[in-house]
Amino acid sequence: MTPAIQTLSLSRKFGRTVALDRVDLEVPEGAVYALVGANGAGKTTLIKVLMNIFQPTGGAATVLGIDSHKVSGKAFNRIGYVSENQQMPDWMTVGDMLAYFRNFYPQWDRDLEQQLLRQFDLPLKRKLKHLSRGMRMKAAFASSLAYRPALIVLDEPFSGLDPLVRDELIEGLIDRAPETTIFLSSHDLAEIESFSSHVGFLEQGHLLFSEELSSLTGRFRDVTVTLTGPSTLPPTPPPSWLQVEAADSVVRFVHSDYKGAAASEEFSRFFPSARDISVDAMSLRSIFLSIAKSGRIHDASAASVLGKAKGGKE
Amino acid sequence: MKQILAIFTKDARRFWPEILVSFALLLAFVFVYPNEWRGTEALGVYAYRSFLGANSPMGFLANAIVVLIPISWWILIARLIHGERLVGDTQFWLTRPYEWPKFLAAKLLFIAVFICLPLLLAQSILLADAGFNPFFYLPGLLYNLILCAGIFILPLAAVSTVTTGFGRMTLILLGVVVFIAGVALLITELPSDTSGTVSGPLGDSLSFILLACGCAAVVLVQFAIRKVRVAWMILAGLALLMTTGAFLDPDERFVEHSYPSEGFGNQAPVQISSYAPDASIQPSINGTRDKGLLEITIPVHVLGVAEGHAVILTAFKATIDAAGQARWESPWQVVYNETHMPGNSDSWLRFRIRRAVYDRLKSTPVTLHLSFAVDDTQAAGSSSIPMTASDFSVPDFGICTPQAYSWLRRNPEITGISCRSAMRHPHLTYVTAQWTDGSCSDLDPEKTLGTAWTGSLDSDPAEFGITSVWTLPLTFSNNWGNRRGGDIALPRHFCPGSPITFTAYNRVARGQVGLTIQDFHIPEMAVGDVYLMQMK
Repeated sequence: MTPAIQTLSLSRKFGRTVALDRVDLEVPEGAVYALVGANGAGKTTLIKVLMNIFQPTGGAATVLGIDSHKVSGKAFNRIGYVSENQQMPDWMTVGDMLAYFRNFYPQWDRDLEQQLLRQFDLPLKRKLKHLSRGMRMKAAFASSLAYRPALIVLDEPFSGLDPLVRDELIEGLIDRAPETTIFLSSHDLAEIESFSSHVGFLEQGHLLFSEELSSLTGRFRDVTVTLTGPSTLPPTPPPSWLQVEAADSVVRFVHSDYKGAAASEEFSRFFPSARDISVDAMSLRSIFLSIAKSGRIHDASAASVLGKAKGGKE
Repeated sequence: MKQILAIFTKDARRFWPEILVSFALLLAFVFVYPNEWRGTEALGVYAYRSFLGANSPMGFLANAIVVLIPISWWILIARLIHGERLVGDTQFWLTRPYEWPKFLAAKLLFIAVFICLPLLLAQSILLADAGFNPFFYLPGLLYNLILCAGIFILPLAAVSTVTTGFGRMTLILLGVVVFIAGVALLITELPSDTSGTVSGPLGDSLSFILLACGCAAVVLVQFAIRKVRVAWMILAGLALLMTTGAFLDPDERFVEHSYPSEGFGNQAPVQISSYAPDASIQPSINGTRDKGLLEITIPVHVLGVAEGHAVILTAFKATIDAAGQARWESPWQVVYNETHMPGNSDSWLRFRIRRAVYDRLKSTPVTLHLSFAVDDTQAAGSSSIPMTASDFSVPDFGICTPQAYSWLRRNPEITGISCRSAMRHPHLTYVTAQWTDGSCSDLDPEKTLGTAWTGSLDSDPAEFGITSVWTLPLTFSNNWGNRRGGDIALPRHFCPGSPITFTAYNRVARGQVGLTIQDFHIPEMAVGDVYLMQMK
């Protein structure tokens, strides 16, 4: 099966600034892929390279099997794109905009358009410039979903929206999910977790990992070890342990490559006097934060850990 | 086609106020501009018009509208392109199925429908109003549209495609104006070996082609691949080429090619000889603004023009040979208003020489050779029309209107003729008419021949302009009467019924004619000039 999106050693520089550094990414068809990362990590740049708004300075990318350089014109019949920063034809009413875009898509579904209008409660006769941010985003969603695109690319679609609007938009996306591939960047990890199938983490232009969400949440664990005496940190903790902290008789860390029995064996080797070991599953938000923090504190080691984790998955 | 129409309709709906203003200005132009020729239709009106002249309210309004129309187009083109701007990465259309050829076609369709077509209609209405059949001048109308597109529409579209908004575009256009003014100033201030460069069709055509192609390339690059840096590089290259062209006049370099030395074979259409009948008409030398350059003036005698021909001295160059010295040659330089008819006539030629060359050669006799680039023209057809009090049509020329004026006489008299032609100034035409000094009712009034040259040898079907009707007042020679006794001199006038003859001249040959003056002594500078030169 041809992946919906594939990048090979994709790089993009702005002058001396490296925005993307040899990114290898694969988004399977039908996936809901969430690209996460801190501000300035390169998420928007990656999306704009995929949409042929920026050209890569190295490597290559394909979108729905089309070289990213050639993603233009008719290729957008199968791609829906919504971005928080995208300008809209503000002088148009919602109805005018939908009527205008209808001319560009042979497969435009009028019934779906009506359904989306009802679902998002969009006022047809109001000009876009008079809409709230949430309503504008809903209008953008409606205009990008009504032609049933094979791929929907969303750049920070939920940023700055109230929870009600977020829920409505996510619901609209989930409705489309069976028939389309969704690729989105977001800071809103809680919402992403609820419907993403895959996740990728971008940090300063490097893709630290890219894998199925279930696999990711399966291998990250919040580990708390209670010792009988005063806690001492192992002199050389394994690289898969992130944010290792010790206080009183407790050692805490995040295990980024947790594998049941093997992990238990590892714990008893490092902590022979452990009185109690608790291993808790982590939310995507907690995983994101631990990776981000460990990346800032121990950049090199974290990168090697996550690189290993990614390699392990492969 | 659906996509083209969708974008076109969307733009038309969005920019209707701008379209409306542009239409209103064209409409006003069509109503106001005909006063340029309507005002002289009736006797007596001319007195009012000549008093107010171009400062009359209508004249001022017409001039204002001529300025406002291009401004309205500028705004329209800028708004149209910036509506879906090509610079930036957040525009909505970037991720929609816009196919660039259709996108570009939609914008071109908009310009064609809301700028070109109204202009075509307005020019057709003006032609009809002026008494010309617009269908007959369709090639000229279309040619003028091409000129408008190349000189005005494409450059504005090109600058719009590389800018993000109207403000930035305005700043860039102001920069262009300042740059052009700077280049013009530099050309004026730079020391020049010529008193005037040869301006010809080559330089104009090259500039036009360069401008149109360069701007079209920018538009294509931006619509097809949106490489702003590449587009700016093309614009910079274009500016560089055009600036170089302004400094190195290509026509000057192609005079030799356009006017071959063997162009006339053994039969030169004119003879030019040196002429110094008395002490008052002698070669002379003067200083120029540049103390390193001097200007030599040589009187020449022009004769031998065949009957039915007229010879135009277009340009000339001077060559000086001195024994044992290097040859000095001037560049080709233009001669202004030198049309010679059969019979003898005199002329003054001026060329510049470096001060150092002058100092080297002034004390020795030299051989001065003057080469003239000459257009030989022949009368192609003549129309003799009796003067009437109202408009009269001249075949292949235009429509003329007698101008009446009352000058210390009770009744207005016809003191001139103003003509209008379609799409361009007429072909080179020689106009003759009989002036009358006394009253037209006299049995045998005193008559004097008045002559005027008008038009050009250009063969283009149109001249660049918003108007399609060109007005040209004919300036006849001998228009003032002789003073008699204590009387003051009065302007002469034309009597109704007296014939006016229009003779069109066509170019039959181009070539060079030479004049060699042996033992020519470069004149000494006058004492005053030497003093002034030393003061500089």
